Amino acid sequence: MPCTGVRPHLGGIVADPYKPRAPFAPWDRRELPGLFDVEESARRIGNYKWAEMKLFEALGGWVATVPELDVKMRLGTHCYKHAWHAELWHKRLPELREMNPERLTQPANDAMVRFIEAMTEPEAPEQTIEKLVGVYRVFIPHFIAAYTFHKNNTSQITDAPTIRSLQFILQDEFDDWRDGEMLIQSLIETPEEVDRAAAHQTRLEKLMIEAGGIAGPGSIGGAGAGGAS
Amino acid sequence: MRKFFPVEELARDSRFNQVTMKDRMADPRSALVKDEPRQKSNRLVPSRPDASAAARGLMHGIFVGEIQALEGAGRTCHDFRTAGDSARRAQDDAHGEDSFADAVPFALKLDMARQAWDEARHVEISVKLSDWMGSEIGEFAENTVLFQAACSTDPILRLAGVNRALEGLAIDVFTTMKEFGDLAGDPYLEFCEDWMLADEVTHVKMGSDWLRRVTEHDPDRRKKALEFQSVVDKLFSYGGTRSDSQESPIGLARRFRELAGFTDDEVEDIAEVSLAALEERKASVARMQATAREFAAS
Repeated sequence: MPCTGVRPHLGGIVADPYKPRAPFAPWDRRELPGLFDVEESARRIGNYKWAEMKLFEALGGWVATVPELDVKMRLGTHCYKHAWHAELWHKRLPELREMNPERLTQPANDAMVRFIEAMTEPEAPEQTIEKLVGVYRVFIPHFIAAYTFHKNNTSQITDAPTIRSLQFILQDEFDDWRDGEMLIQSLIETPEEVDRAAAHQTRLEKLMIEAGGIAGPGSIGGAGAGGAS
Repeated sequence: MRKFFPVEELARDSRFNQVTMKDRMADPRSALVKDEPRQKSNRLVPSRPDASAAARGLMHGIFVGEIQALEGAGRTCHDFRTAGDSARRAQDDAHGEDSFADAVPFALKLDMARQAWDEARHVEISVKLSDWMGSEIGEFAENTVLFQAACSTDPILRLAGVNRALEGLAIDVFTTMKEFGDLAGDPYLEFCEDWMLADEVTHVKMGSDWLRRVTEHDPDRRKKALEFQSVVDKLFSYGGTRSDSQESPIGLARRFRELAGFTDDEVEDIAEVSLAALEERKASVARMQATAREFAAS
């Protein structure tokens, strides 16, 4: 109702609904500026979508290769969660002026492609530890890092739809990381298996360092964090 | 990780025993093979003398079937390149693989990932139901024919074989088990089967929708896919285990199939194939009995 200056009868009501209020409540401390412009946000989201796709494809493919029934079921469940994340990013891209989402659905760089190839290399039924280590001790922690950096540095007002998706996705990532880490701990029973897990993790971490993270250099800040503020 | 995982390498722990379909059906605890005098109906109902063992056997069959369905859906997420994924196309090219023939829409893969989650829940449900029914993992053998249907290198044939033929069978099986739970006064069983049934109708509908969409301008491919589905339907009507006849333990769930996108003609075709399989099985048994009588008389 427009303000006409005429106050209707307030009766017993104490609060005046026509009293001017600040546009932002006192507890709302969101900031307008952010680290990423539209293009940079879209570029990162394209990288996220590609990486989530590779992850759900790998999890789905591994289901048939792991003999442990509990692991088999978890992989099937997590496969869907990462597919859903890819779908959220796929839907966000056109909202960031990328009408052909496939154009930006790309790996951050060649090193990221090599990381995926190395992560998906284990196939034998005796390699469940390696499969899980690649996903839950390397890939997902890097997702959590990149998503957290994005959530904490993008504009809290202009890029609110991305932040909302990031919050849903981060909840999944933390839940899945916990599931995966507990599976790994339950599978590792000997010092030799500790060494196997550590060796595979080291190999993959080196490739991830080369890639610079899920969205390339600057995934969690520093050089290449990019975008206009 | 390879594309197209061979069925004989499906990973299982030490409790599982994998056998052929023929071996599985020859299991004396199997629903159609009995020493007792012939009954009017073989339908799985609580009043059947062997109802308890037959229901446990069927539940174990559901359990291993769900594992293979999970594996099949997962492999479809992995085996085929997503349309527009230029990085994967470059990888395929580098490995000398045909990078265009197997591309599938992104949304199809999302459906398969969703199906993988659904099947994972079904494994969880059927493990708990098996325990509830007094059975345990490995009590019955596993035949891997379901996963074989998920090994086609054409994604549309795979969808026709798995989502329409096998998941269609799952609709029939869950309907029968749901009715069994109702008749047996087991609301726990009935409740769980009803939830799984809802998922299966969704999976069959996914298969029906994708088959129509992807082959909209490719009638030859659609024909080939429907022929493959028919082969799988016949395979899974092995021995008439599933048909409209009361002689089959599992009925044909016409109403739910309709909800899942089957046309009336398609349902009639499956009914005919199933009845034919039942008649073949009966003729085969009659031949074996005649041979046995001749042998005994000689």
